[in-house]
Amino acid sequence: MPIIIFSSDSYQKSSELAKKTAETLGYKYVGREILGSVAAKYNIPEAKLTKALDEAPSFFGMSTKEWKQNLAYIREAVLGEMLADNVVCCGLAAHLYVLGVAHVLRVRIIEDPEERVRKVAEQGHITLEKAKKLVQRIDKQRKRRSIECFKKNETDPSMYDMMINTSQIDSEEAVGMVTTAAGYRKFKPMTYSIKCMQDMELEGRLLAVLLKDYPEVRVQARDGAVVVEIKALKREKNKKASAIKELVGKISGVHYVEVHVINDIFRQAAESGR
Amino acid sequence: MAIITISRGSYSKGKEVAEKVADRLGYECISREVLLEASKRFNIPEMQLVRAIHDAPSILDRFQHSKQAYIAYIRSALTGQVKRDNIVYHGLAGHILLKGVPHVLKVRITANLEDRIRAEMNRESIGESEARELLFKDDQERRKWTKSLYGVDPWDSSLYDLVIRIYKLHVDDAVDLICQAVGREQFKTTDSSRHMMDDLAIACQVKAELVEQFFDVAVTSDYGNVIVYTKTQERLSHKLKVKVKGLEKEIEGINNLEVHGGVPYPPNAV
Repeated sequence: MPIIIFSSDSYQKSSELAKKTAETLGYKYVGREILGSVAAKYNIPEAKLTKALDEAPSFFGMSTKEWKQNLAYIREAVLGEMLADNVVCCGLAAHLYVLGVAHVLRVRIIEDPEERVRKVAEQGHITLEKAKKLVQRIDKQRKRRSIECFKKNETDPSMYDMMINTSQIDSEEAVGMVTTAAGYRKFKPMTYSIKCMQDMELEGRLLAVLLKDYPEVRVQARDGAVVVEIKALKREKNKKASAIKELVGKISGVHYVEVHVINDIFRQAAESGR
Repeated sequence: MAIITISRGSYSKGKEVAEKVADRLGYECISREVLLEASKRFNIPEMQLVRAIHDAPSILDRFQHSKQAYIAYIRSALTGQVKRDNIVYHGLAGHILLKGVPHVLKVRITANLEDRIRAEMNRESIGESEARELLFKDDQERRKWTKSLYGVDPWDSSLYDLVIRIYKLHVDDAVDLICQAVGREQFKTTDSSRHMMDDLAIACQVKAELVEQFFDVAVTSDYGNVIVYTKTQERLSHKLKVKVKGLEKEIEGINNLEVHGGVPYPPNAV
């Protein structure tokens, strides 16, 4: 059975719809509730994980390295849940990294902008004008996050199978439409799409392990064969390659490891200038 | 009982979806009919209207205001047709031209870019890069058109109630989803929404009659009580009043017609 991913500018609205959809279909709901277990596993505050999902890195805020690492931890947990199928996922940026899997139905919920501003004003006990500015800032941050970290613009309609505007279409109808679409044959898991999901899950686990020491690492996994790409100086090449091979080789599901080391020209230039 | 507008890019299969939705619901499906009526009623060659709703206004157009006039003619013809209800309109800018009417379901159909490129290659017998370039140009032209005339991006999904991508979802799936949505209570025509639609049609008709001579007027109608807003000087304002007086008898459904000058235009004015 399919995986349904909800995305929205307003987590409150999309999680409400995602929960209802999961309830209707009898699927498992995966939301921000899983952040607690991720935080416990990696011994980091849950608030930092939430911040990584909502904000882009900044000079005074979270560093790019920490931000990417936190997102990798979340990604690992989400992809692990998705392997089980029959999942409705929301608010974990899954629409930005679960790509190219045929049995994933991607839905974006668009909330009436005025309604959203009203809600923010009510919740924060602030004026409508302030709430409007706050909403604009949040949207800008989210857009930056999706482009900087995942090279995707999350507001682009081509990223979704359907987009539902809840200002005219009520929640019940939106849920009805999503459940109808989820029943179409195209979203049934097939051997190939399940394999794609398994590869993606392995990549997620690898990134969670490697990003800590190799912030610019790139990973590709196919049927347990893993290709890791890192940047390093020529003299470090062998040392780093064998360290990665040892680290990755211990991870379950990995049968073969290949490490590609690209010459880090910036570090080389910096060192030769000394 | 509703009105459905389907916005689409070229080769997005939006026309096919619109025709199938109309067929399933027993609605009338219109697109070019609106242009033909506008062309006939206002005596403008259809080709000029097609260009007006396809190409973005040039600098010269912005001074001549000819595009605004053509749009007013098209909008008048469109509102005149859709007020009959049970209509699927799949021409350009339906979601903008019918903005504010509650029983209008606004749908956008998009398609996978690679599929669109293949369709363009087959139809025009051209290579991939040429087809890609042509589609890109066409999309940009349409975006520029809407942005320059209405200040909104047609790709902004918040303008629509439903956006469906024809890729994993097929044409028939899209038809199912649209029919499912339109059956809801909020898209049923009520007395109040019918009045709104009638008022919009009257306001658009008045605007279309005036726009050639008075391009910057704005018109509202509330239960047939029409107000024409103007910023023009006293001498022209008198001319406008004379012209407006004649319209009162010409256009059906007008109870009262007034001209207001020097006041800000209401946001719902056409």
